[in-house]
Amino acid sequence: MNYPVWYIPEVGGGLLIAVIAIIHVFISHFAVGGGLYLVIAERKGLREKNRAILDFTRSHAKFFLLMTMVAGGVTGVAIWFVISLVQPAATSLLIHIFVFGWATEWVFFLVEIVAIFVYFYTFGRMDDRTHQAVGWIYFIAAWLSLLLINGIINFMLSPGAWLENDSFWSAFFNPLFWPSLFFRTAVSCMLAGVYAFLTSAFLKDAAVKQTMTRFSAKWVLGSYLAAIPCGIWYYASVPPPARALIAGASPTIQRTLHAGFWALIALAVLTLVLVILRPAFHSRPVAMFVFISAFIFMGAFEWTREAARRPYVINEVMYSNGILKAEMAGLKQNGFLRSARWVQQKDLHEESLLDAGRELFVNQCYACHTIGGINNDILARTKTMSYPAILSYLGTIHDKRYFMPPFAGNEAEARALAAFIVKGLQGKTITEGGAPGGSKGQALFDANCTACHGQDIIRSLTTGWERARVRKGLNRLSALNPAMPDYQGTPAEKEALADFIVSLNSPQPAAPAKGHDHGEDVFEQNCSMCHTLRDGGNPLLPKVAGWDQQRIRKTLDILDTLKGSIMPPLKASPADKDALAAFLASSSKGGAE
Amino acid sequence: MNALVPSPDTIPVAWGWFQGLLMLVFPLHLLLMNAMLGSAAIALYARIRGGETDVRLSHELARALPFLVAFTINLGVAALLFIQVLFGHLLYTSSVLMAVFWLGVPLLLIIAYYAIYLYDFRFASLGRGGTLLMVLALVIFLAIAFFFTNNMTLMLEPRQWIAYFRNPGGTILNADSSVIWPRYLHLITGGLAVGGLFVALFGRFTGQRDPQLGARALELGMNLFTILTLAQIVIGFWFLVSLPRPVMLLFMGGNVAATALLGTGLLLAVAVLAAGFRKNIVASASMAVPLVFLMAFMRDAVRSGYLKPFFTPDMLKVIPQYSPLLMFIFSLVGGIIAIYWMLRKTIKLYR
Repeated sequence: MNYPVWYIPEVGGGLLIAVIAIIHVFISHFAVGGGLYLVIAERKGLREKNRAILDFTRSHAKFFLLMTMVAGGVTGVAIWFVISLVQPAATSLLIHIFVFGWATEWVFFLVEIVAIFVYFYTFGRMDDRTHQAVGWIYFIAAWLSLLLINGIINFMLSPGAWLENDSFWSAFFNPLFWPSLFFRTAVSCMLAGVYAFLTSAFLKDAAVKQTMTRFSAKWVLGSYLAAIPCGIWYYASVPPPARALIAGASPTIQRTLHAGFWALIALAVLTLVLVILRPAFHSRPVAMFVFISAFIFMGAFEWTREAARRPYVINEVMYSNGILKAEMAGLKQNGFLRSARWVQQKDLHEESLLDAGRELFVNQCYACHTIGGINNDILARTKTMSYPAILSYLGTIHDKRYFMPPFAGNEAEARALAAFIVKGLQGKTITEGGAPGGSKGQALFDANCTACHGQDIIRSLTTGWERARVRKGLNRLSALNPAMPDYQGTPAEKEALADFIVSLNSPQPAAPAKGHDHGEDVFEQNCSMCHTLRDGGNPLLPKVAGWDQQRIRKTLDILDTLKGSIMPPLKASPADKDALAAFLASSSKGGAE
Repeated sequence: MNALVPSPDTIPVAWGWFQGLLMLVFPLHLLLMNAMLGSAAIALYARIRGGETDVRLSHELARALPFLVAFTINLGVAALLFIQVLFGHLLYTSSVLMAVFWLGVPLLLIIAYYAIYLYDFRFASLGRGGTLLMVLALVIFLAIAFFFTNNMTLMLEPRQWIAYFRNPGGTILNADSSVIWPRYLHLITGGLAVGGLFVALFGRFTGQRDPQLGARALELGMNLFTILTLAQIVIGFWFLVSLPRPVMLLFMGGNVAATALLGTGLLLAVAVLAAGFRKNIVASASMAVPLVFLMAFMRDAVRSGYLKPFFTPDMLKVIPQYSPLLMFIFSLVGGIIAIYWMLRKTIKLYR
């Protein structure tokens, strides 16, 4: 709210950060472990007086230089750029708290650059002892860079005692510092082996290829085994709410962990085969497969670490949308729009409700939700939700789903945001109260369940369930799925909700209220924002005067091709279109007022 | 207008520390960037001209380019860090407004960096493709400089920020500002001139083992240096008069320090030029380095002039914590010792 929001709704800033960050960490960890690999591989070549191993180490050093200095170094700069564009408030906070941490890291970056240049360009020309020393200087500087970044990154998930004392050292040596440092060091060495698989796959000399394959595989396996206890220690040190998200409360983390798990299995199996069973099996496709597995693992790890921080970007300090936790109470009381710098609608008026809602969306939701994009699409998330359901959800959003920040604004602003989502994004009519003709159970369903699943999913999930089972399930939803928060309704509300869920699978679903025309609902939801029936600026019935129901029904399928192509296509089910056609035909004949 | 200016965060030591560090690393970044730009331009020119010596010069310069790019980036990172500490609330805002171009900076840089490595490692086999690679790298360098000029001016002009409400997609540039073109040309012309001087120095060193190559580098480098320094005096004057009047007047007696900077800069520029015409490389170079420092200080004075109505760094709240500064100083000393040791070993090897 202190900074403008770079608004690219179809893409989303989070995705940009994720893509750049995952590529960067995959290379930057190699830049640490790979430095150690170079020194040890060179030492092996020197001790065994093996020219071929030294030649391989030199060519690997060239690959290392090109990969880490260019792609690794500059994607590091790119992360800094992209986070300052997507999360300027958090970036500013991190820069100001840790300025001398970053400055020290810059010194090690400088030492790394000099060392790797000297190491590569003097390979075979410098005396062995000095050359090895330069290699060690490189590795130590790279590892110290990791140490510094490790302190800053983990602060974001676990600020520890800094929350009380504001001390740089408390922030830096936070509760995750040591476990993460050990874990990342192990992963760095693992990636050193993985990258060396890639370069050794290009070796033509079969003997040295076999030697370096075994050597590299030992790096992968040894580090893999070391990473397991470090990973457990790391996980155990994560703050409890974030651990709960990893353990099952966040569906996106579950999907990511699943991919990461299988990537790790693939990595282990392939490396075992290479190191123990058949080094000759090593080939470029195999190396590429190992490389991709490691990349997926690394991506899953980083994604999980980032996602587990939600709803915060800096735990307990700043929410993902850049709003400070300390400001939340004031914003709820006094309103967000009046406090935010980068909004135009400072006051709420009926005629600018949607504009205000849009600004609230941009400033509070867009940090995680795209509009029609692949990451957390708000259109898909709210498709089945009505205006009252969204309004009710906004009131308890953080309690129902911990990883969502609370809505920061007053009641009128919540209405503006709900109106923007329902009418501005979904194109539905805003109706106060429950769904037309709906039961109390349906209203409860809309308010409490549709944020995550629509009626269709619940219908298929509860097919064949007795009412008693549904009712019992409502007592403890987290037992059904750890990602579900328990329903906090009264026993009477649970009864009504159970009735509604059971009715979804009954042969004759709850009949709409007598006398109510479903076609009219469809008209309200899809046409009424531009058309009236008879009066007003753009009445619809004169346009279909004399048409039969069949002709109207056919036209409903091709609205976007009609004269001038200014109408959007009608996004409704065939049954809804049938109902709308019948309603319009009967109204045209004077059946509706 | 000023309602859009975000509140800054607190700093751990007095702002003068950051100002001092910024004024140290930014001119060093500029010097390296100039050497990079000049080497790339002359490498390209020599390659297009052809002829055995010119092609050899092109390759020799290409060998130096990856080092120049690496250290330009490294010192740029330091400069960007310290400028963010002092002016981050302004810089983040202008960066968001031009986000697409700003994010393009590192992404384009990766392409230019690889193009330069490819040019060096595959020099003999590339043929015409090599020329294209160097054109690509040079165009990217010039584009990055343009984006930087836009951002460094946009951050000073909150009045322009209102454009965000018409275009929140990150594609705003500050191209309408009267100062943008003279400032950009001033940066590029000065950069190429100092780059020419770097190539001349490079020629002086390589001339010991390859006199023909050395003489050619000297000739091309000094020509570029003298012609562009001459042009730079005219562009510099254009830059000065394009500044908003209150800022311009600072350099014309309104502020003693700013006026002294401009006067000294002009005198140094004339002296540098005189040494350049006499082909006295050592004198030119030893005066060009302080001149680049002076230029950086003048830019800082321009920035202060723009921001004065609503922000000065002494407004930043200090919550003192000096021990992290000590960590940085110790690391810097240790790092310099390690670098010195490695370079000494390397130089011995090549002797």
